[in-house]
Amino acid sequence: MFLEFVEGPLWYFSAVVFVVGVLWRLVDIWRQPSRTDLAVPRGSGVPGALRTIVTRSWTAKGFSRGATFHLVAGYMFHIGLFVLLIFAAPHVKFIEERILGFGWTPAPHWLFMVASDLAFAGILLLWLRRLMHPVMRKISTFDDHAAAILTFVVMLTGCLALLKSHDSLRAIHMLTVCLLMVYFPFSRLMHAFTFPVSRAYTGAAMGRKGVSA
Amino acid sequence: MIPTVQTEHDFERGVEVLRAQIDKKIASYFSSCVHCGLCAEACLFYTETGDARFTPIYKVEPMRRLWQREKTFWGKLGAGLGMLPEVTEDDFAEWQEMTYDSCTLCGRCSMVCPVGNDIAYMIRKQREAFAAAGYSPEGLQGATRRALEIGSPMGLTLKALEAQIGHVEEETGLEVPMDKQGADYMALLSSMEVINFPEYIESLVRIFDAAGVSWTFSRKAFEATNSGIQIGDSKIAAELVSRVVNAAEELGVKYVISPECGHAYTAIRWDGPNLIKRPYKFEVVHILELLDQLRAEGRLRTEGIETERLTFHDPCQIVRRGGVLEPPRNLMRMVAPDYAEMGDHGKMNWCCGGGGGVSANEEAEELRLKAFKRKKRQLEELNVEGLVTACANCRIVIEEGLEHYGMDIHVTGLTELLAKHLAPPKGKAEGG
Amino acid sequence: MTDHPSRPAIPSEPRQHGVPPRVRARITRYLLALLAFVLIAPLVPYAAAYLGAGNVPNPGAGLWNEVRQRAGPADANTQARGVESAVLINQVGERWRQFRSEMLVPVGAWLLLGTLGFLALFWILRGRIPLEGGRSGQLVPRFSVNQRVVHWFAAILFVFLAVTGLVLLYGRFVLIPILGPEGFSATAAACKEGHNLFGPIFPFAVLAMIVLFLRGNGFNQIDLKWFFRAGGLLKGHPASSGYYNGGQKSWFWMVVLFGIAISISGLILDFGVFGQGREVMALAHVVHGGVAVVFIAASLGHIYIGTVGMEGAFESMSHGYVDANWAREHHDLWLAEMEAAGMVGVEPNALEEVKRHDNIDFKGFGSPGTKAVQG
Repeated sequence: MFLEFVEGPLWYFSAVVFVVGVLWRLVDIWRQPSRTDLAVPRGSGVPGALRTIVTRSWTAKGFSRGATFHLVAGYMFHIGLFVLLIFAAPHVKFIEERILGFGWTPAPHWLFMVASDLAFAGILLLWLRRLMHPVMRKISTFDDHAAAILTFVVMLTGCLALLKSHDSLRAIHMLTVCLLMVYFPFSRLMHAFTFPVSRAYTGAAMGRKGVSA
Repeated sequence: MIPTVQTEHDFERGVEVLRAQIDKKIASYFSSCVHCGLCAEACLFYTETGDARFTPIYKVEPMRRLWQREKTFWGKLGAGLGMLPEVTEDDFAEWQEMTYDSCTLCGRCSMVCPVGNDIAYMIRKQREAFAAAGYSPEGLQGATRRALEIGSPMGLTLKALEAQIGHVEEETGLEVPMDKQGADYMALLSSMEVINFPEYIESLVRIFDAAGVSWTFSRKAFEATNSGIQIGDSKIAAELVSRVVNAAEELGVKYVISPECGHAYTAIRWDGPNLIKRPYKFEVVHILELLDQLRAEGRLRTEGIETERLTFHDPCQIVRRGGVLEPPRNLMRMVAPDYAEMGDHGKMNWCCGGGGGVSANEEAEELRLKAFKRKKRQLEELNVEGLVTACANCRIVIEEGLEHYGMDIHVTGLTELLAKHLAPPKGKAEGG
Repeated sequence: MTDHPSRPAIPSEPRQHGVPPRVRARITRYLLALLAFVLIAPLVPYAAAYLGAGNVPNPGAGLWNEVRQRAGPADANTQARGVESAVLINQVGERWRQFRSEMLVPVGAWLLLGTLGFLALFWILRGRIPLEGGRSGQLVPRFSVNQRVVHWFAAILFVFLAVTGLVLLYGRFVLIPILGPEGFSATAAACKEGHNLFGPIFPFAVLAMIVLFLRGNGFNQIDLKWFFRAGGLLKGHPASSGYYNGGQKSWFWMVVLFGIAISISGLILDFGVFGQGREVMALAHVVHGGVAVVFIAASLGHIYIGTVGMEGAFESMSHGYVDANWAREHHDLWLAEMEAAGMVGVEPNALEEVKRHDNIDFKGFGSPGTKAVQG
């Protein structure tokens, strides 16, 4: 019963909120004012934007020492999460049956295990640093903690439901997923969609000045 | 009508201006920021003090709060329910230090943000609001007022400049062209150069004479620095830029030369057309770009090399934020082929700690000297005898820092260094 | 046969095994030795009675003795290729089952409940150990950001694994009455999955703990005196100690030894695909369960004294610095070192700054024998 509800009406509601919310946020950024740059550019903006979208995936030269923790834990978490989200067998099945109509080869169990361990260790380390480091503590807001904890809970319930033998476990996972999807567009999690936009704006501005940023 | 400097506190106006600053970029930047804190590691005000308040993204917290309250769903909801704190006048008072004293707009943080936020741009925008609300340092207010009223932030008058030019003409035996209609280049100066480093003017005169450059100064507009940019008042900045633009267009020059001054270059080269809302009828070149061009054309020739161990300090606004990356290195190699590069050089160089109006702000002096420890360490690693730079403000800040820490390194400008090694013109050398 | 050139062409030992026979035999001996005291001893009277009743030969006795492997490994052969496929009845299995239900479960329960009871009693008698001198307001940096992150990383994993593990061990008795059979079934499935999935992270956490906390954890004479005075926990003024006291050092080495034991045994149990047989698995489980129960009991003491049991202790691991008076009352020798190094009354994040800029060997900061600070 409960599973039917969370996988039925609640899931559709959350999916709509998620999609509409994300689009609305992106359109809202687009609605803000902007002005064309009248200065004669030294270089072109578009290559600068594309370059920065790619190059900000690693640290600037000579900056890796202060960023080791971010780099290691950040990639552990994001790669792990990506593999879990896209290649976990139950997810592939769900995507095939409920969203796209086609699936792909899911990750074998060992890869699932590695990915989930990386994702968990990564998010725990990142969140603990948020709690422990004076800078992180100073700049963190309620939203930062809420997003981290919610993502953690979603991953945990998902992994605990792995045996697929109990509907109740699956329902709990789906419930937290729905919560996350509803929360997503209004939160820090939006960075998943806006980071290329930010990188592009900065990259374009710097590219016009002839600096590869 | 000439704009004025806001000295009285006007919080309402500040908030209004702050709201108007939120554009596509700012909205995208705040949406993307995950509060990872990496920008702190890039900021010398944080690394040298360990004070978490100086984390770059935290410096724009008032702007973030306003954005959250007025542009986001939860923010609007929270504000409606009275759960989210408003941006208050106390916030402005508290954040003045973070907005002005502890930021040189050097933009190093903007180079390391993983989501690509241009934090220096955001702080520059926040300064608009703080300047409008009168929450800006007295030192900067005074400098800006002098720039508007006298024509120079340091209170330098045309008469004083003419006196210096008289000295230069005596010294070099060359005529310094003034208000020469139809010259190719119009040169600008920073008051700092006229008052503290007049060698720059002399160097310019000798190099241009040797290279056969058609150039002139303008009596109407010789000051390149722009306090409006530093305090963050676009109206004032536009007024100061338009003085230069009008003078250059009256003289009908093809190019305007930005001097060895960081913010002057940003102001006239990149921000200027956007401030006066139209493109120029001339081009802007930085003196280093012009010298590099003369070098490439064989018109700038030097003789001899420096025997001292030298290094080059990249001025943030010229290199990282200005894009003049290669010219200073090409020019350095002419006279100091073995000069040493600092650990983080080029576009990732550490700021001297005094840019962005910080050196004009007496309240920030102690902090600035603390922040200088970064440059100190960079120099100690190299064990150099001399430092070359291309910004009069960097130069004075570094000289003060070296003196404060009792370091024996002499500082010079790149143009000056080149003039010192200037080879006599071919024709003259052969003839006489 | 090319796979095993060292083996004879016709195996004299027909059973297929991933573990070399010698090792297996040794493990078996160890296991038997361990169980002998526990299991055999109570059986002696029964055996005596049985033997005394007279010995009538049974025609099937020979076969069953072979099957039960009463006279050592059976001479059985099979075409089936698999771990222990030639074993008809596993002798060890029954002994392991008895160990689990008759030793591990009851003794573990008594140990855990006893520890809780002891701590409760200690709380009633001694109360929260106060800061005698109150707060000085002067801060002394104690643990770096990395140390704290790693500590809490290990702590969160430990608690998660302890809870899921205890559910697997005691859930039948404790949870079925509360959740019912179906509720417990789902809970146990979730706990089993979570325990197996995230267990493999724990070795890394232990390793990181060893790296970041090893320095300063060597025992010395001061610790002897500390133990002699029972750490000053009972009454009177506390015993003298350096950066870590004897109790903290003991806990550190418990974490190292238990952590390694529980990690290795856990990995053997979690990844059953490397040909380890039931005997190895049974032994691994005995180690895993036994160590886990002791580890959890010890951790209760650590948690108690680090939180409610002592004023001013928790902040060392939450914020990284302690009050100078706390340091004076509990780590007087360390405080003296820090005072000499000018590290008392510094800014909260001073430790990070010191590490960042002055190239002080940070890991041993303030711990006994640190030269960099004093010099």
